[in-house]
Amino acid sequence: MTRLIRRRVPDHLSCRQVAKVLQTHLDGELDDETASAVAEHLEMCRRCGLEAATYIELKEALARRAAPVPTASLERLRSFVAELDAHGAE
Amino acid sequence: MVPPGDGAADEAFERLVVPELDVLMRVARSLSGNTADAEDLVQETLLRAYRSIERFDGRYPRAWLLTIMRNANINRARRRRPQLQRDPDTAPEEVADDGRSAEDDVVDPVLDAALDDALAALPLVYRRAVELVDMAGLSYREAAEALGVRQGTVMSRLHRGRQRLRERLAATGLEGDRT
Repeated sequence: MTRLIRRRVPDHLSCRQVAKVLQTHLDGELDDETASAVAEHLEMCRRCGLEAATYIELKEALARRAAPVPTASLERLRSFVAELDAHGAE
Repeated sequence: MVPPGDGAADEAFERLVVPELDVLMRVARSLSGNTADAEDLVQETLLRAYRSIERFDGRYPRAWLLTIMRNANINRARRRRPQLQRDPDTAPEEVADDGRSAEDDVVDPVLDAALDDALAALPLVYRRAVELVDMAGLSYREAAEALGVRQGTVMSRLHRGRQRLRERLAATGLEGDRT
């Protein structure tokens, strides 16, 4: 599955260029070459580093808000799959 | 793939879908808005998947299941289906139980409550993109399959959605004003 977003990568990225791909970078969806150029910029640029930290914090807070799927639901669904296997879809 | 009803095919079906049940429930919860309807939607998806497994090439089961779920959800919006397998005696309690423990609620209750409000205030298309990627853990491509839109559309909705969340949280003094 090709899911990486490819972009032309100059040697050094400007803050504006980083801003355009920052969220894609933090989602792990950039190609390796662009991702390492962005990472290098974030190491050196305090403003973009803080911007990245804010998005990371937001993503982490969102992940925390994701309620786990109730175990009972998963158990019923596993039984449903087993039932399909045993008796087919009639 | 071997047709359903065959023992080997059934085993293959179970092996393909069981690891995806958790993520399917998370996506279904976003699409349907609650755990009870989500479970029905996942069951409908599994039934359709079982019936169409002959046409599945065995690659990317998650993307295959998400596409089936999207279509099943469109049909559900047109007609309410009877519940497939839920036990009516236990359903009300489990609907109320979203699986979150008390511990989950004390990490940063103020930020989390503000985030809930901010999420609820997002336009639906932005909220779904955020829920699918940041809360259900889908890739851009998988979210695009689930929503029936292009990957670029997912990206733009997701990025704008997060931007709006930041602005709203900054307005409450919680986030986004670090610089």
